[in-house]
Amino acid sequence: MATASQAAPALRSSMLGVRLREAGWGYGFVAVPIVVFGLFFIYPFGYALYISFFHWGILGKQGGAEGTFNYSAVLHDPIFHIALKNIAEYTIGVVPLEMALGLSLALVINQKIRGRNFVRSAFYFPSIASSVAITTIALYIFNSDGLFNRIIGSHTPWFHNAGTVLWAIVGLNAWTTSGTVMLYYLAGLQAISTDVYEAAALDNTSAWRTFWKITFPLLRPAHFFVLVVFGIGALKLFDQAFIVGGGSGGPNNSTQTPVLYIYRDAFSNFDFGKAAAAGIVLFVIIFVLTLVQRMTVGRQEAA
Amino acid sequence: MRKRLGVILGLLIAVVLLAATAQAGTRGTKVANVTLAGWSSGPDEDALLNQVINVFNKTHPSIHAQFTVINGDYPTAMTARFAAHTPPDVFYVDSSVAGAWAQQGVLQPLNSFIKSSKYDTSAFFPSLLGAFTVGKSIYGFPKDWSPLALEINKGMLGQAGGKAPKTWAQLQSVAQTMANKNVVPGGKPICLSPDWARMLAFVYQAGGSLTNITSPAAAAAVNFYVGLMNKGLATTPDKLGSGWCGEALGKGKAAMIMEGNWLLPFMKSTYPSVQYGIFPMVKDKTGGNLAFTVSYSMAKDTSNKAAAWTLLSWLTSRQGQTIWMSKGLALPSRKDVKAIGGRQAFLSAAPYAHGWGFGNPHFASAYTVMNNDLTAVIAGSKSVAAMLADIASALKG
Repeated sequence: MATASQAAPALRSSMLGVRLREAGWGYGFVAVPIVVFGLFFIYPFGYALYISFFHWGILGKQGGAEGTFNYSAVLHDPIFHIALKNIAEYTIGVVPLEMALGLSLALVINQKIRGRNFVRSAFYFPSIASSVAITTIALYIFNSDGLFNRIIGSHTPWFHNAGTVLWAIVGLNAWTTSGTVMLYYLAGLQAISTDVYEAAALDNTSAWRTFWKITFPLLRPAHFFVLVVFGIGALKLFDQAFIVGGGSGGPNNSTQTPVLYIYRDAFSNFDFGKAAAAGIVLFVIIFVLTLVQRMTVGRQEAA
Repeated sequence: MRKRLGVILGLLIAVVLLAATAQAGTRGTKVANVTLAGWSSGPDEDALLNQVINVFNKTHPSIHAQFTVINGDYPTAMTARFAAHTPPDVFYVDSSVAGAWAQQGVLQPLNSFIKSSKYDTSAFFPSLLGAFTVGKSIYGFPKDWSPLALEINKGMLGQAGGKAPKTWAQLQSVAQTMANKNVVPGGKPICLSPDWARMLAFVYQAGGSLTNITSPAAAAAVNFYVGLMNKGLATTPDKLGSGWCGEALGKGKAAMIMEGNWLLPFMKSTYPSVQYGIFPMVKDKTGGNLAFTVSYSMAKDTSNKAAAWTLLSWLTSRQGQTIWMSKGLALPSRKDVKAIGGRQAFLSAAPYAHGWGFGNPHFASAYTVMNNDLTAVIAGSKSVAAMLADIASALKG
């Protein structure tokens, strides 16, 4: 006993050492991502904010005006308005489609069916393939005399027609991303306790009613996550629009998106200040929309 | 374990030291290294360019030039290099971006070098040199060029009377004959790109110009070009299931197209059995054509301007360009270098050709507006006058 009480202060001090060391290791591990985050996100963001107040060319700051003129140029540019209108249409079209497709696939996969693993991989496959390659192949399939038109007996150049091109991209991206959405929904479905289903079964509830009254509401965290992540993804549409329109936003500005607008201002017009201003405007739009989503759909998660 | 680590570390140090001494060795011989960068236009052209550079390196022992291909989106990749202050010493500049790059201050004006080495610039076709001239400053020498010509499927032309059109009126009447006789089944007599890089030639033929784009002549040219489509005599390549008009000609979906020298290697490799003739571009009030050209230019940010000038001026000299033209992959930009046979229809355009890019710093960005508006005009959702007004303001920046 005596030895134990004598050892206590020593133990306490060594405990403190252990805790300090643990904290040191903890901060050490955190420091690496924080530095990377700072270097590749915080610093570029701050720099973009800085250059958005100047005339900024390839070689840096140019003379002339300083201030918010880039912002007023962006906000008054009719092409930027078209880009915003396009991306709004696209997002409103693609996100519900992605969610519906992904949820349907997840419900199918969640059943005890044969070859489940194969089907799951098959559905996920488009998500891991390169979007550039997929878009390029889609351009051929949806060509005026491509496979798709042969099947439906039409000659519409889906990706070259100003009226159809945005919806063609909606269809293409809903298909490629539905596999990823499926995975999130699958995780959500498996997180629902089987007790509630057993209770529903005891009450003789129909499958349809079970889905709408139990599964769908309990998937709320998954809905919120998918809506936010894929909503932001949709607002940042670039690669498909770039390939389809050859980088020009054509035909007739129908594939003009805010990110493409930023890219063209920077690398075709060499107006990096205006490009940065457009980037900040897009950031604010996405930030506000995410906040709104959080306050509406994600209410319970926030609480 | 520790022993093995030591061995690996030792090896690493040895490799680094070796590399350092090797680099020091090349520096020791006082050879100026000059980097030359451009895009790849296929294995044939890359091989030929390396052949040209080998001759240069042999005849200039104090300079070592090396060609590196920049893959991907060339203007974007170069912009990143300019911004990082690490551009290649000498590089390709497409005439469409020359004005913008000059304005951004990344290209070296060559006037002082031209003066000090008494370089004769009069051998270049003026319109080609003009594409790289802003004010009085010359920012590069054209390495080669191509105008547009009229390419016609020989069999289809034979069925429509066999005479190639020379004027707008003849173009329309030949197309009408082709349409009446259904010479191009499943296609259209003419393939027209929804692209100002084709239509602007018609503007010059009508007596208009890009600098005065709101003129009645420009409107007349647009109305003729779009009118051919509205009359059912022409259509855009996407409606013919093709990526561009060259493909439509190859697939037999169009009888007449207007493309440049680049069509020839494409047809040879992709559609070798298609028989087609190359004729000069049609005329209206006057001859008019566009000159698509690429220069060798020097970076403002290079530490070795003297050696870069030696390379640049030799590549575009009569001697350098003669080797470059030996395989007929391009057209000479110098009057004193001969093109290989069969290119007469292209070369005859030299006096009428206008350098694509026009030395306008806002051209590259205006070009996007031009084509977006043109697709709207073709679709009937925008008036010709509104398009021309848009372009005029986009060209001002």
